[in-house]
Amino acid sequence: MTQDVIKVTINNKDIQVPKGARLIEVCRDSGFDIPSFCYYSDLALQASCRMCLVRIEKMPKLQTSCTITCTDGMVVTTQSEEIEKAQRAMVEFLLANHPLDCPVCDRGGECELQEMAFDWGGLEERFTEKKNYYAERYLSPMVANDPQRCILCKRCTRVCDEWMGEDAIEAGGRGANTVIGTYGGWLDCSQCGNCIEVCPTGTLLDATYRHQARPWELAQTVSTCTYCSDGCQMSLGARGGELMRVVARDRYVNGLNGEFLCIKGRFGHPFVNHEARIRTPMIRYKKGGKLIPATWDDAIRHVASKLDSIANKHGRNSIGIVGSPRLTNEALYLLKKFATDLIGTDNYAVTDSVNLTPFFANLGAPLATHRDIRYAKTIVLIGGEPEELQPLTGKQIRQAVRNGGARLIIFNSVPIRLREQASQFIHIRPGAEEAAVLALAGGATDSLVSRKMGIETAELEKVRGTINETEGDLIIMFDGSLSAAAQSALAQLSYLLRADNRRVLFHPLPLYNNSIGALDMGMTNGAIDVTQMLDAAGRGIRAVCVAGSFLPEQLRGREESLAKLDFLMVQELFETDTTSFADVVLPAASFAEIDGTFTNNDGFVQRVRQSIPPVNQSKADWMITDQLARELGVEFGFGMSASAVFNEIAMQVPGYAGLRYPLLKDESKPVQVKHDIAVQRDISNELETVRTAVEQMDESPEKHNDTPDVGHELFKIRTLTDKVAQFHLLAAGNPRPESLNVSPLYQITLSDDLRAEAVVAGD
Amino acid sequence: MHIEAIGCEPLQLRRVHLENSRTLEVYRRNGGYEAIKKVLDSMSPDDVINDVKKSALRGRGGAGFPTGLKWSFVPKDSPKPKYVVCNADESEPGTFKDRYLMERDPHMLIEGMLIAAYALGAKTNYIYTRGEYRYLIDIMDQALAEARAAGLLGEKILGTDFSCEIYTHTGAGAYICGEETALLSSLEGMRGHPRMKPPFPAVSGLYACPTVVNNVETLTAVPDIIKMGGEAYQKLGTEKSGGTKVWSVSGHVNRPGVYELPMGYDDMEKFIMEDCGGIANGRQLKAVIPGGSSVYIMRAEAVIGKDVRMDYEGLVAGGSSVGSGGFIVMDDTVDIFESTKNLTEFYKHESCGWCTPCREGTDWLVKIFKRIDNGGGRADDAQLMLDLCDNIEGKSFCPLGDAAAWPIQSAVKRFPEDFAKHLVGSRKE
Amino acid sequence: MSQQLTQIRPLSQPVHMPDEPATFSAAVEAEIDGHLAKYPVKRSAILPLMFIVQRERGYLDPAGVLYLANRLALRVTDIWEVATFYSMIQTRPVGKYHIQICKTLSCKILGEPLITERVCKKLGIKPGETTADGRFTVSMVECLGSCGTAPMFQINFDYHENLTPEKVDRILDSLP
Repeated sequence: MTQDVIKVTINNKDIQVPKGARLIEVCRDSGFDIPSFCYYSDLALQASCRMCLVRIEKMPKLQTSCTITCTDGMVVTTQSEEIEKAQRAMVEFLLANHPLDCPVCDRGGECELQEMAFDWGGLEERFTEKKNYYAERYLSPMVANDPQRCILCKRCTRVCDEWMGEDAIEAGGRGANTVIGTYGGWLDCSQCGNCIEVCPTGTLLDATYRHQARPWELAQTVSTCTYCSDGCQMSLGARGGELMRVVARDRYVNGLNGEFLCIKGRFGHPFVNHEARIRTPMIRYKKGGKLIPATWDDAIRHVASKLDSIANKHGRNSIGIVGSPRLTNEALYLLKKFATDLIGTDNYAVTDSVNLTPFFANLGAPLATHRDIRYAKTIVLIGGEPEELQPLTGKQIRQAVRNGGARLIIFNSVPIRLREQASQFIHIRPGAEEAAVLALAGGATDSLVSRKMGIETAELEKVRGTINETEGDLIIMFDGSLSAAAQSALAQLSYLLRADNRRVLFHPLPLYNNSIGALDMGMTNGAIDVTQMLDAAGRGIRAVCVAGSFLPEQLRGREESLAKLDFLMVQELFETDTTSFADVVLPAASFAEIDGTFTNNDGFVQRVRQSIPPVNQSKADWMITDQLARELGVEFGFGMSASAVFNEIAMQVPGYAGLRYPLLKDESKPVQVKHDIAVQRDISNELETVRTAVEQMDESPEKHNDTPDVGHELFKIRTLTDKVAQFHLLAAGNPRPESLNVSPLYQITLSDDLRAEAVVAGD
Repeated sequence: MHIEAIGCEPLQLRRVHLENSRTLEVYRRNGGYEAIKKVLDSMSPDDVINDVKKSALRGRGGAGFPTGLKWSFVPKDSPKPKYVVCNADESEPGTFKDRYLMERDPHMLIEGMLIAAYALGAKTNYIYTRGEYRYLIDIMDQALAEARAAGLLGEKILGTDFSCEIYTHTGAGAYICGEETALLSSLEGMRGHPRMKPPFPAVSGLYACPTVVNNVETLTAVPDIIKMGGEAYQKLGTEKSGGTKVWSVSGHVNRPGVYELPMGYDDMEKFIMEDCGGIANGRQLKAVIPGGSSVYIMRAEAVIGKDVRMDYEGLVAGGSSVGSGGFIVMDDTVDIFESTKNLTEFYKHESCGWCTPCREGTDWLVKIFKRIDNGGGRADDAQLMLDLCDNIEGKSFCPLGDAAAWPIQSAVKRFPEDFAKHLVGSRKE
Repeated sequence: MSQQLTQIRPLSQPVHMPDEPATFSAAVEAEIDGHLAKYPVKRSAILPLMFIVQRERGYLDPAGVLYLANRLALRVTDIWEVATFYSMIQTRPVGKYHIQICKTLSCKILGEPLITERVCKKLGIKPGETTADGRFTVSMVECLGSCGTAPMFQINFDYHENLTPEKVDRILDSLP
C-alpha cells in the first residue's frame, strides 16, 4: 500500500509524514517533547488537559496537538514563551486542588503529574486557597480511590469502555465537583485494574498493594504472564525475595499488551509467596501413609530407584510422563526428552484440555498476532469467550471493531459479551461449532448446517458476503474444542478464503500460557493422552511422573486411577488432588522464580525471567527433570542454565531454529515461531467425517439466551487464584462492605461456606 | 415588563401584544404560515438558503455566525438523516428574549423551523428548551399539537410532499448546554460536555448526522426573511448584520424589558437613557454589560456621549460585543468587584469540568474573590486574577472559559478603583 | 500544613440498591412511552424520564435509577453520570415546595438578598436546607431568565417574579 506523504514544518524542521498523521505523534517521533495527560494512543480523543498546546501558523489560538491532523505545508511551533507559559499554567491549575503530599501517595515516584510538575511546573506556588477535599475510599476489593488527586484525564473511563466494553466507571458531578466513580460508590466489573494502570496520578490505586512498598524499592523484572494463552508482558515488582505487585506500566515494560492486563495477570500473583507453598520434597514411604519431608537428594534417589525397578519389572512403557501446559518450553522440552530418550516410553502427555495437533499439522496460514487482530478488517470467531478466557484478545477484537471499523462475525451458542461489538452474531445450538466450520469450508449444503445450527440460511450467505467484501486481513479464531477433523478442515480454510487483496490468518484460543509451546515441544505426540493414561493406571501404566497436576475434569470419574498406580511423583507448588495420591512430592518453582520461555497464541516466544529466588526449597521444573536424569545416569549437560536448554530447543525444534535468549531480549519486538505452513491438500475425507458427525447432531439442545455475567470465568477459584483473598470475595458476588473507607478485606470475613462454595479445585 | 419595537416596524414582536397571540388562529390571521406556504409553493431548498444568505442574518445566540452560511455547510448528498435543532436553552445571565418570543408567539418558531427543515432536508427536529422553562415547553407542545392538527406538521404538510416533525426536549439545568455541541451531547442523553470541532455539527452533529443548531430568535427571523425577501430584510439592518435584533434589558433602568431594534441602531446612550426610561431612582449610570454576562463590561463614560452603534461591529468598536443581546445596566450603587464576583460564581457553577483551565481556573478565581471578600485581599490579587484569566482565555476546550475570563479582565482593567478598595485594609470583623 | 480543605459535594455516597426497580401507573408508563417515541435513540429520553421519576417519587431514588437503567437499557452508573451533571436532577430528597431563588447579577442588584433573607427567616432554614416537616427546600440557583422581572424565584416549576419581601409572604402563605 502506498501512502500519500505530506510535509509539515515543526520548529523550522521540515518533516515528511504520512497524510492523516496526528500532530502530537509526529512531534514526539521527531524528538520534540509534547507534554500531555489525557492523550492516550488508540483511545478516543479527549483534548481536555490542554497540555499539548502548540502554535500553528494561520490559526488564531494555540491548538491542542492531539486533535490536529497534519496537513500539507503546516507550520508548527512547539516551543516558545507563549506555549511554555500556557503549559506551566495548566500544571499550576492541575496542582491547585491536588494535594502536595507526594511522600504519602502510593503513586509517588512513578506519577506523571509529579514528573510534569518537575518538568513544566512553576517554581512558586501561587494557589494559597483551601483545597477541595474528598475522602479516600475503596471502589472494590481491587481498586482504591483517592478522588482529590484526580486530574480528570478520564483515561480510566475510556479504557473501561473502549478496552473492556464494561463502562463500569464514569465521571459524575460537574465542574470542579467532578468525581470519577460509580453509582453508589461500588465497582462491579471484571476488576481488570486497567483503570489503575493508566491513571497518571495516585487517584486509582492497587488496593492489594496499597501502602506495601514504594516503587523505587522494587526490583522490576520483565516477564510473561502465567495465566492465559495471550502471553501479556508484565513487570514483576519484587522486594526482598517477595513479589509485591505486577504492573504493565510502560515505563517498565512495553509488550504486545501495552498497559493492558486482566484481573488474573495483575492481581493473581500472591500465590507466589503464599504460605501454603510446598516447602520441601516429601516422600510417602508407604501407601496410605503420610508424606514425610525429605532432602532433595533422598527424594530424587527414591524416585530414581522406583522408576528403575518399575521399568525393569513392567517395561519402559509402563512409565507415564506428564507435563502441564503452564510449564516453560524448557521444562516441557526436557520432560519430552526425559520420556523418549532416557525412560524410552511412548506414554507422555500434557494436562491440557484440548489438543491442537491436527490444526497445526494442516496449518494453511500463519498465526495472527495481537497487532494483526487490532488492524484486521474481518474477524470470524467460532466458539470461545475471549473476554473471559483470553482477555487481551477480547480487547484487541473490541478495539478492531470500535476504533478500526472491523467487522466481527461470531458463531456461539451463548450470547457472549463481545456480541455487543459483532456486526453479525450467529446464535447456534450448543455443540454446533463444527457445523460452522463445515459451512465455511463448503462441506455441506447450507440447509443441512443451518438446520443443525438452528439458524436461517440467509445468515450464512451474509457471512460469505462479508468475507468476500473483505480487503485486508481476515482472521479466523476458534476455541480448541473442535474435533480433529474439524480442526484440519479449519486450518485449510485459508486456501479457500484468501484472495489477491485478502490475507487469512488464524488465531487459536487455547486456555494455557504455554499450550502452544507444549505442542511445539512435542509433548502432545505421545501414544496416549492424559485420560487414556489415567484409565490405564494399574494395568499398562504402573508409574507416573507429573509436573503439575491433573485437571479436575480429567480426574472426574477416575478418582480411583491414581490410587491404582504403583508409584506417582508430582512436581507442584501447592497440595492438590493429585499430590494427595503422590508417593513423592517435589516443590516446584513458580514462574516468578525461574528463567525460561512461553509460546503464546500469536506464536510469540517470550521470556520468563527470574524475579525472586526460589521460594522455600523449590526448584525449576526443568532442573528437577535434569537432576532426576543425572540420578538415572544420564548427564544432559545443561548445568544451571535455562539458556542452554533453549539453545538445544533451537537446534531440535524446527520452528525455533536460530533463536537464542539474546534475540528475545526486547519484549517490544516479540519473535514469532515459524510454524510450518502446510500446502493446500485434499480435505474431503475430513469434511466427510465432520459432515457425518454434523448429520448425526442432536437438534434438541436449547441455545443459551442469557449473556454470562462479567467475571464468570475470571473469578473462578482455582488452585492459584484460591491463594488470593480478593478472588474469594469476587467469586462470592463481590459483596459490598458496610464502609467504603476501609478495605473490604478488613470488613468481610471469608467464612468457610463462602469459601467452600466458590472453590473449584485445579488450575 | 416592557415589550416594544423601537426604530423599526416590529417583526419578531409583531404579534406579542395581541390577545391569544399564542394560538394558531391569531398567528394565521396575522400573516402566519404564509412564509412556509410560499416556500412550499415556489422555492427550492437552495432558494431558501440563498435568501437567508442574502438577508445577512447572523446567529442570535451569541456567536453571530452568518446563518445562511451555516446552513450551506450541511452536505446535500449525505445519506444520513438531517436534523434542525432549536437552541432554546436560554441561560445567559441578562438574557430572556427567547422566553417571550416562545411564550407569546410559539407558531413563529414552528414556522421558522419548518422552513429551515425544508431548506436542509430534515425530517425530525427538536426544540431544546432549558429545563427551568417548563411552562414554555407546555406552550410549545400545545402549539405543536395545534399545528399538527391543522396539517402544518407531520406527513404531507399543506398537501405537499414535504413531511416533517418537531418535538420539544427538556434540558435539566446546565448553562453549558447552550453551547451547540454540548446541547447535542445533552440531547443524546449524555452529560452536557461540548464536543470537539471539527467535525462541525453541520457534518456530524446529532447522532453523528448533519445537524443545524440555531437560536430561537434566529429561527423566528426566518419567516419574515422569506416573506419580504432576503435583501429587503438585510436592508432593515446593516450590510453585515441584516434585519432587526431583539434585546433584553434588565438591571437599574426604569423600563426593563424586551426591545426590538434595527441592527445598527444609532446610539446605545439613547437606548438606555431614553428608550428604556433612563436609570431608576434618579441615580447615575455606572456600568453596562450589553451582551449577556459573557462580554466585556463597559464604563458609563464609554457609553455617554460616545454614539455606540448597536450592531456587531459597533459594539466591538465601543469596547464590548453583542453576545446574546442581554443588557445588564448598573447604577452607581453597584460595586463592580461584587458584580464580577457574582458572575465568576456563575461561571464556576456552570463550568462543565471537562477541561483543565476552565474547571480549575473558575474554581480558583471564586476562591480568590471569597478570600478578598473575607478581608484577606492582597495588593497583587488583581494582577493574579488577570494572569489566571489570561491562562484560561484561548486555552479552554470551548468558549465558556473565554466567557468566564472576559468579565473579570474587563472589570479589573476598567474599574480598578472598585477592586483596589477590596484588596487592602478591608478585613471584616 | 497551612492549607485547609473544603469538603465538596458528596456525589457517590453509599447507596444500597433495591432488588426491584420502581413501578409506575399505566398512565405514567404511557407518558414515558410518548417520550421514548420522539427519539431514534432511547438514551435521548433520559432527561425527560428523570423529571417524570422525580415528579412521581419526589427525587431520583435508587429504585427510580434502577427503573431508568432497565427502561433505557443502560447501566446504573450511566444514569448516575448524567443525573449528577444537571442541577435540576435531585439525587436526594427535596421538600414538597422547592424554592429556587435566582442569585445571578440582575436579581442580585435588584434585591435578591432581601428576598433570600425573608424566605429563610420565614421558613427558619438556610439555603440548601429542607424544613423539618419536609414541605420546603430553599436553594440558591443561577440565572433563570427572568432578569427583566427581577428579583424572582421558582417554586417547583412556577415562576414568581418582581418579588418584594411582602410578596414573598403572600406567596408562601398561599401555598396549599
